[in-house]
Amino acid sequence: MAERKSIEETKTALHDVVREMYDRIVKGEPPTMTLPVRTKNNIGFDPKLGVYKYGKKQTIRDATSLGSAKQLLRALHVIEFIESMINDGKSSTLREMYYISEGWGLGKFQSQNESNNLAEDLEIVTRCLREDFKLRPEEDGARMIGNLTLRERNRRGEWMRINARDDVGDSGYGVPYNVEAEKIEFLEHDINFIMAIETGGMFDRLVENGFDEDFNCALLHLKGQPARSTRRIMKRMSEEWDLPVVVFLDGDPWSFRIFASIAYGAIKTAHISEYLATPTSTYLGITADDILAYDLPSDDLSKKDIEALNAELSDPRFADGWWQEQINMMLEVGKKAEQQSLAKYGLDFVTETYLPEKLQQLGL
Amino acid sequence: MAANQKQVAISEFFEKNKHFLGFDTLNRALITAVKEAVDNALDACEEARILPDIVVKITKLDNKKDILQLEVEDNGPGIPRASIEKVFGQLLFGSRFHAIRQSRGQQGIGITGVVMYSQLTTGDPTHVESKIAKEATAVSVDIGLDTRKNKAIKSNQDRIDWGEKAHGLKVKTKMKAKYQRGRQSVWQYLRMTSIVNPHADILFIDPDGEKHHWQRVTERLPSRVEAIKPHPNGIELGQLQRLCSESSESRMTTFLRRTFSGVSGRAAKELCEVSELEEKLKPKSLNPQQVRALLEAFQGERLLKGKPVKLLNPPTSCLSPIEELLIKKGLSKTIDSKFVTTMTRAPSVTQGNPFQVEVGLIFGDGMAADKPVEILRFANRVPLMYQQGGCLLTKAIESVDWRQYGLDQAGGRGVPKGPAAILVHLASTNVQFTSEAKEALSDNETVMEEARKAMLEMGRGLRKHLEKQKKMGKTKEKFELINDIIPAIAEKSAALLELPVPDLAGSITRIMSAVIAETTTTWNKETKQTDVHIAFYNYTSRARSYTMLVNWPERQGATMVGNELGGRKEAMGVWAWKLETLQPGSRTVITYSLDGLEKGDWNETDVFYRGSQEVIGATKMDEKLLEEIRRQEEALNAPPPDEDADEEGDAEIAPEPEPAETKPTTPVGDPKQTTLFGGDY
Ligand SMILES: Nc1ncnc2c1ncn2[C@@H]1O[C@H](COP(=O)(O)OP(=O)(O)OP(=O)(O)O)[C@@H](O)[C@H]1O
Ligand SMILES: [Mg+2]
Repeated sequence: MAERKSIEETKTALHDVVREMYDRIVKGEPPTMTLPVRTKNNIGFDPKLGVYKYGKKQTIRDATSLGSAKQLLRALHVIEFIESMINDGKSSTLREMYYISEGWGLGKFQSQNESNNLAEDLEIVTRCLREDFKLRPEEDGARMIGNLTLRERNRRGEWMRINARDDVGDSGYGVPYNVEAEKIEFLEHDINFIMAIETGGMFDRLVENGFDEDFNCALLHLKGQPARSTRRIMKRMSEEWDLPVVVFLDGDPWSFRIFASIAYGAIKTAHISEYLATPTSTYLGITADDILAYDLPSDDLSKKDIEALNAELSDPRFADGWWQEQINMMLEVGKKAEQQSLAKYGLDFVTETYLPEKLQQLGL
Repeated sequence: MAANQKQVAISEFFEKNKHFLGFDTLNRALITAVKEAVDNALDACEEARILPDIVVKITKLDNKKDILQLEVEDNGPGIPRASIEKVFGQLLFGSRFHAIRQSRGQQGIGITGVVMYSQLTTGDPTHVESKIAKEATAVSVDIGLDTRKNKAIKSNQDRIDWGEKAHGLKVKTKMKAKYQRGRQSVWQYLRMTSIVNPHADILFIDPDGEKHHWQRVTERLPSRVEAIKPHPNGIELGQLQRLCSESSESRMTTFLRRTFSGVSGRAAKELCEVSELEEKLKPKSLNPQQVRALLEAFQGERLLKGKPVKLLNPPTSCLSPIEELLIKKGLSKTIDSKFVTTMTRAPSVTQGNPFQVEVGLIFGDGMAADKPVEILRFANRVPLMYQQGGCLLTKAIESVDWRQYGLDQAGGRGVPKGPAAILVHLASTNVQFTSEAKEALSDNETVMEEARKAMLEMGRGLRKHLEKQKKMGKTKEKFELINDIIPAIAEKSAALLELPVPDLAGSITRIMSAVIAETTTTWNKETKQTDVHIAFYNYTSRARSYTMLVNWPERQGATMVGNELGGRKEAMGVWAWKLETLQPGSRTVITYSLDGLEKGDWNETDVFYRGSQEVIGATKMDEKLLEEIRRQEEALNAPPPDEDADEEGDAEIAPEPEPAETKPTTPVGDPKQTTLFGGDY
């Protein structure tokens, strides 16, 4: 299980990766790196953790082809770079690392995606977190509004007490990339649940309509596929304060995926699902039957949408009956709808009719 | 009155026939004029064995009325003063009538047609300057047509000084015409002409003053073509009647042997026998029935012992193929691309007419990958620019399933798509067109079959090239892997763990587990030789032994120099070396140079091996193919069969063994048919 590691533990774990390569060469064999298969075919439900984790399938990346040999060489460069950061007490963004790799000759990255993936690979094989590697994401953290109080340690190392309703403007409290205990502590709250919202437009609508105060909840803007820190803060709040999370997204296959990554863990980060996923979260809408029940303005599914839905049908995270039904229904109807299509019935319809009805169904 | 009638007659003649004279549209009129003048220049130079320098210049004179001026100048033999007016002012004056051989011009209408068109559309005469070598000055004269007498009118005749230039011809004419760009344009015509005439230097100055220059890429003139006697298979009744009645021979057998090609002494007797003619009959005295009987015998309709009389093939010295190397050069000079494969089929015969098909394919960057390939059609070195779809040569391309050779083609039929251009050339003593426009070849099974075979062989060449490229890419990757990446991994991991750098030999052997051949073929500017360098690496754990073989252009006259490892000749164009022991982890190099070639003649060397372990970068030797090459070599070296060997003692000759019979259309065995390059492995 992934958990925070000490500097020494981190270094040892990284050296084990190097050791595997070195030993193989000494034995007269091609160097290798062993890691789990990172596809939907190798994720399974962990009943103890309540989330989806990588299974037992392993791939051996060995240096018999040019592509994988280069991967190994890059991994060595990244390890060297991490070690030097640890030793110097520095950190860098993933993007910075990508640019630094320009000087790595043959070990240079071809794209930022490649360097991000490799950082994840290393997390997986070492069971460390990228925070241990002193690597920061570039990703945009979420914003949050609601009557809850936390304290955040600022750049100068001082703790600042912040109420996410009274001490913030209309754009809310900006969630930093590091939301671990050394950075954020939760103090008190007066809310009944957390509502995660996909689009900025809908978030602003609910804020303007005062939904957080009327319904005693925290509103969290996911900004599309939520960043690691966004998923982590939801997880921490829901666990530490024992609050339910409801997820309000567009009604399309991509939103289903966002929900799965929040509730069960994302395929790409299944090695740290237990650390990022909130198994108690619920999908509120837009559901496939909402499109029909509320007669929402909708668009036809594109070829890509249909492919995504079909892929979801065989994704273990959507194996339960309710999801199968929803996905099949969407395929049948052939339509998808945005959150903001609710505006068809006026600006207040969402806060006065739709959400209350849906929340009631969920018993909130 | 009469004068007017005549004028009308000529204009009418032109009007009625302008499509087959090539003047039906303003664009085509210009192309035709250029074509007539350039074809004449090329023909004249070829006959006089001069390397042609041709300048074509088009100037706009009057924008509104579409009046252009065309100037064509060559360095050919020129035309003697007395003949100028006939050449330019008299229809049907030519030097090539009735001659059975391959030539561009045939009817003697060509250039006079241009003069006529010019006069009809502008009213002006055509200006001609001509200098022959033995005269100090050039003749300068304006030629018009006297439409009453259908004769030339000369004016402004003079002698002028041409300075340095020893001989040549210059024609300057005005005409109603339009200059266009694109697939059917003067530019395209000249470009195509330059491809099939690599020995010509062609400079084109277009109406905008822009210069297009296609340089000479070989000093070798096309081989001299000889006129041949007609072959019985290609004779028509009228022609046979004429040949008989004009003959002064006293015996049928001598007449048959001397008038026709492919008729041996024995065949002459047999022809007489089946057509029930007495051998000592005078050909002049034949009555129409007898001529008809003879024709039937010619056409194999009268049988001897159940079979047509066996005739030899006509000689093929009347053909002038461009030949593989020169097609390669011609294509390479106009299209900038790396890979060219060419194929010249052996001459063949259809209906008594010798013909030969040549194809070339150029493939690679610089051409659109998603468009149909460019088709370059030629008949007797003359570009065919119109009616592509209806042409036999196009149909031959379309009949091939190009998908198996690496080109896109919907449903495996039709013109393939890809970054390629395909050239097809038909050389023949009698090119059959679908219409007088002479732009598309008419269907002919024998020619089609030859063209198709040539395409297939060329396609195999393309496929091999693509496969080889892929393989070479893979080999290159492997080398990068073991030369750069693995050592870097070893060093970096050792440094991180603060341990000594481990030995790599074991890992590398495991990774490669193969024997690898790396071949380069490069032109050496200093020595003017083609250097070939082949390195073998044994990345296996055992010692290996091989026989390595290469192909080389022996037949094209190259010699192998600086080959220090020696080796031996395996077959024509195939050299072999025995490599007794390649130790594990070792490297062995074979180098040699090819002398007597020009730059670009030889860009790729194929390497073959005999041995059990696969050699990456080489192909396993196909022994059957090698056998075939040896067989053809023997055939080539055998003395040629003598047509008239059995002239006197016919009676003593034993009847021929039955299975040796050959059909008249079987090609003469030619070593070019199968090459190591086009073979299918
Ligand atoms: N540029 C030239 N240099 C030397 N001789 C020429 C030149 N142009 C034409 N002639 C001579 O004039 C003759 C007539 O040319 P013309 O173009 O009228 O007919 P052709 O080339 O024989 O046949 P075609 O009608 O097919 O063009 C040629 O056969 C050749 O002998
Ligand atoms: Mg001519």
